Amino acid sequence: MFPRLTHPRAYVGGIALLMLLLIPLAVNSPFIYHLAVQVCVFGALATAWNIVGGYAGQLSLGHAVFYAIGSYSATMLVIHFGMSPWLGMFGGAVIAVIAALVIAYPTLRLRGPFFALATIAFLEVCRLLVVHFQSFTGGSAGLNVPLNIGVEWMIFREKWAYLLIAFGFLAFTLWVSWIIRYSRFGFYLIAVREREDAARAVGVNAVRVKISAAVISAALTSMLGSFHAMYLTFIEPSAAFSLELSIQIAMFALIGGLGTVAGPLLGTLLVLPAAELSRGWLSALGNGTHGFVYGVVLVIVVLFFPRGLVGHLGGKALALIDRLPGARRFESAAPTIVNSTSPASSSSGVRGKPILIAEGLHKRFGGLKATDDVSLTLHEGEILGVIGPNGAGKTTVFNQLSGFIEPDAGTVKVCQPDGQWRTPTSPENFAQAGVGRTFQIVQPFSGLSVLENIMLGAFMHTRNIAAAESVAREVAELTDLTPLLNASARELTVGGMKRLEVARALATRPRVLLLDEVLAGLNPTDVARAIEMIRRIRGTGVSVLMIEHLMQATMALSDRIIVLNAGQLLREGKPADVVNDPAVIEAYLGKGYLDAQGT
Amino acid sequence: MSIFIQLLINGLLLGGAYAIISISLTLIFGVVRVVNFAHGELLMVGLYATWLITSHTGLHPYATVIPVAILLFAIGALMQRFVIQPLLTAEPHIQIFATVGVSTALLNLALMMFGADVRTVDAKVGAAAFQVGPISIVTGQLVTFVVAIIVAVGVYLLLQRTFVGRGFRALAQNRSAAALMGVNVNKTYVLVFGLGAALLGLAATLLAVQYPVFPTVGQYFVLTAFVVVVLGGLGSLPGAVVGSLFIGLIDSLAGYYVGSDLKEVVYFVIFLVILTLRPTGLFGLGRGSE
Amino acid sequence: MFKKLKLAAIAIGCVATLGINIAKAADLKLGALYPLSGGLALLGDESFRGVQIAVDERNAAGGVNGNKVVLVKADAVDANQAVGEARRLTSIENVSAIFGSYASGVASAATQVTELAGVPYFELGAVADTITERGFKYVFRSNSTAKNFAERSLEAIFKVVAPQLKADPKSLKIAIIFEDGAYGTLVSSFQKEAAKRLGLNVVESQSYSAKSVDLSSLVLRLKASGADIVLQTSYQNDTTLFVRQSANAGYKPKAMIGAGGGYSLTDTAKALGSAMDGAYNVDFPQSTMSEKGAPGLRAFTTAYEKQFGSPPRSGHSLVNYVGAKAFLEILANAKSNDKDKIREAVLAYKKELGSNAAGWGFNFAENGQNQLATTNLMQWQKGKLETVFPEGVATAKPIGPN
Repeated sequence: MFPRLTHPRAYVGGIALLMLLLIPLAVNSPFIYHLAVQVCVFGALATAWNIVGGYAGQLSLGHAVFYAIGSYSATMLVIHFGMSPWLGMFGGAVIAVIAALVIAYPTLRLRGPFFALATIAFLEVCRLLVVHFQSFTGGSAGLNVPLNIGVEWMIFREKWAYLLIAFGFLAFTLWVSWIIRYSRFGFYLIAVREREDAARAVGVNAVRVKISAAVISAALTSMLGSFHAMYLTFIEPSAAFSLELSIQIAMFALIGGLGTVAGPLLGTLLVLPAAELSRGWLSALGNGTHGFVYGVVLVIVVLFFPRGLVGHLGGKALALIDRLPGARRFESAAPTIVNSTSPASSSSGVRGKPILIAEGLHKRFGGLKATDDVSLTLHEGEILGVIGPNGAGKTTVFNQLSGFIEPDAGTVKVCQPDGQWRTPTSPENFAQAGVGRTFQIVQPFSGLSVLENIMLGAFMHTRNIAAAESVAREVAELTDLTPLLNASARELTVGGMKRLEVARALATRPRVLLLDEVLAGLNPTDVARAIEMIRRIRGTGVSVLMIEHLMQATMALSDRIIVLNAGQLLREGKPADVVNDPAVIEAYLGKGYLDAQGT
Repeated sequence: MSIFIQLLINGLLLGGAYAIISISLTLIFGVVRVVNFAHGELLMVGLYATWLITSHTGLHPYATVIPVAILLFAIGALMQRFVIQPLLTAEPHIQIFATVGVSTALLNLALMMFGADVRTVDAKVGAAAFQVGPISIVTGQLVTFVVAIIVAVGVYLLLQRTFVGRGFRALAQNRSAAALMGVNVNKTYVLVFGLGAALLGLAATLLAVQYPVFPTVGQYFVLTAFVVVVLGGLGSLPGAVVGSLFIGLIDSLAGYYVGSDLKEVVYFVIFLVILTLRPTGLFGLGRGSE
Repeated sequence: MFKKLKLAAIAIGCVATLGINIAKAADLKLGALYPLSGGLALLGDESFRGVQIAVDERNAAGGVNGNKVVLVKADAVDANQAVGEARRLTSIENVSAIFGSYASGVASAATQVTELAGVPYFELGAVADTITERGFKYVFRSNSTAKNFAERSLEAIFKVVAPQLKADPKSLKIAIIFEDGAYGTLVSSFQKEAAKRLGLNVVESQSYSAKSVDLSSLVLRLKASGADIVLQTSYQNDTTLFVRQSANAGYKPKAMIGAGGGYSLTDTAKALGSAMDGAYNVDFPQSTMSEKGAPGLRAFTTAYEKQFGSPPRSGHSLVNYVGAKAFLEILANAKSNDKDKIREAVLAYKKELGSNAAGWGFNFAENGQNQLATTNLMQWQKGKLETVFPEGVATAKPIGPN
């Protein structure tokens, strides 16, 4: 729950953070207090934004709407109901959460600039509505916060009181950000951000993950807005519902390092005091000078630190810090408990019972009939090979068997450990029903290590990081990845990445494993290793359905083979029979070949 | 009834004003894939350039189009070469913030050089209206509309019929593949950005007869231009044109029937609804991002 | 490499500005907090110029009790920056008082800081009534408020426009349009209230964004409603847009009455040419008034032209000049930097109407508001902004529509 305080990263970070509190207290100047409060507030805002913008990877440029909701709610509750802002801020958070839900659903399918602009549109709509209903909100003229002095009103004469509260908010926000980052939720966020499809294939409910991130971020941002309103004692729509504010906090997070815990605060520390101070100094030189310098410096900073401060300097800084006493290597506490719930091995008793049945699948894309009345049955403990010429529709069938494409007609049902049949619909449903799959074009989460990639699959059955890690190590043994566990996924060879795909799917403890051309692009040695690996996998009780082009592998591995051609099931049977079937040969090699053979 | 027709005409003509700005934005957006937050400020630079030339030489703003377009082309090309190009492989968010920096710098530079005074371009031709029956039409707006159509057709022909245009389209679809096919990515991006900026220069000379010039004027146009472009579909030329006309019409009709204070709410809400139904915009293809 | 250069530059910058900031111990440091960049930069800067002239004049005459007045400039565009700058001025710069700030949002936020810090705030141009209605003891305002603007504009209908049209004011159709920011909202809400009270027929009341690129639909609406008189509260861009687009649409109301902002700027009149002629405007006293009711006006405009090379761009410089001048005199009278002594001196400062270059008097109420600040009614005639009411400062007679 809390970082281990004896680890140097924790205590160095903690001391640095405390400086933010102690230095202003020592200097005791109202302006320095103001700067420190601003750094705390904006640092916290940037950290809260980072949950959506960094972890979830959604560039929200309308985040100020939550800030403004918090400001206005708290202020209006003070004015109309005499409610203390300590309570009012929770009221604001509730409204902000509702707003987040309202905007989240429609924008879920949007990416990149579309998402950003949709958030800006939402911000503007809210601003205009607040301006319009002026009898209720004070309109453009703004609202003055009644100057009631006292702790319960969050208004003080002594500046250090503000700093203390602001620091408290900052610490809390950092803590939430840290918890998320190092929890299963954090992994899921990163996975969804990088490769949503691959994440869904390991059972991650992408929609729920994204909305949770939005909700948490909105609530935090709103509470900060409530505090800031009490600090500024005057709010108005153009400053609260401000596109500039949204851009600013996003910028701080970016400059510091997106998707890291300390990044947003570091970015704020670098830019904000410099901007405030330069406004003071440079105003004297002429109107607009400080703005110009600010713009130019911003461009220069972005050009020199495109990966953010943490991205560029983080590695070296962390290396230095880790040399201090107290650092233990991360993987030392590897629990030896093996996750005993492995559905695969438990039902390996009866071989040959159907475990996956597809009936009458049809799928049309526009004028093309990609799947034409395909039915197949996968039996327990079986390796079923699916072959066919290019364009036969093999991957389309695969996608229907794993929930990525919805068939126009037909059903797919999966047998559960208790014997019941289940008809899953979405990719995550299929994963949870026990169907794991790989992708033809590998989809590793390149920002994560190999171990973390595999853990993502393991998370489907546990929340516990240590447990997931142990499952991942087990699976890594099975797939020959143990020596590569700490490497970054992006450094792997093609062969390694393919095995990683398999490992990640295996970590979800599937009963059925769908392999999509897992041997493509491998050299002969790797192919041989892979064949062994697939055999081992079947040995643990997993039923395998594999698409393959490599005839020798397919022949060597499959118990049965299915041939697809032009979307239809052409032939089904034992490998030797199928491969010598004239119709199959014609499908692959054309009539000319048949004629040339004289058959 | 004549009011309704007048509203329609006003809306279409207003759409024409946004069209050139939107075409330039979607061209840059579509090919270079950068959200250029400095777009409004480039327009502002064009307006200031027009004003400077006309106030010193007495030329009509329309006559300044060549020097202004060339100046803007140069600025756009430089911006691409020195600000965006180094960041092409960085996170897209980072590129956006580089353009934010340029936007702030340009705006304040204008403030430093020219002060906050509002300048107007003296233009007898263009600001006045003429009557067609009960409908009045502002000459300048009509000219802008006609030029916008010409520009749309011109850019379309450029993209579809010329070698250079094909390079643009290739880059828009797949950067690495285009590079493999021999398209010089960096040079083409510079060209596209320059071209987009030059179009803004053209827009500036047209708009100068109707709108005053001051440092923050760019911000008045840019948000709407972004809405138009996203609504129409990133990188889609017909999308930019249709989107502009659509937004112009809504602006005009909602401004009358709903009220000028809520007309923006109307078009932002419509924008959100359309995006919910078609996540890649009206004419967008594919999955809506890189 | 670049980073080292940057650090060096910043270091040199620090030392340099520290040098600039070393004022002599006996100097009187006063802050000047205005929006000098951003959307309000033009009139913020114009306002600041007035303060500058007042300070220079005072220093030339020996300063305040022998101490030279040093102005510390501060730029704030919104509440956030206002709070920051107010904190900077009151702590690091340690000013004895602050002049400000044209923008009501900036003033509202900054005064919350200065009140808690016990530093007097002299508001010279912002019009939100609430600035002096919060029970603060150290906020003083020399200029008139939004309420004054609104009441003067309606008075103009009764006393000037209706008689010219030979019509009963209550039979005229009034339209109130305004930019949707603080300024427009404040003035127009008082206008609406007063119109109701006085029994006027308001047929349309519409706000719009000051950043609008097109107001043609608004014009059509007004045309359809048949409004005879349009009361507009606007900045320069929207004024120009509205008047132009009205002309284009063939909509010519019998009278247009602005409330300062764009209606007072010579730039607006230049852009609109003859379309602007005949438009009325209620605003702070302009520097084009008659000297008869405003002694010292010519001296001010001469000093302005000498320093800035052109005539004043609006009445804001004049108004800030007059206010600053009065407050400097008050500071001299107080003979102290103690906030309560200053407050005493403010309340004790009484001057008659017509005693200064703005034609104002001074009489501060308990809440710090000057009761004798006025607004004038002006009219654009042949490209010049003539003052037509009250007669003491009038330079021309109002011209009716023909």
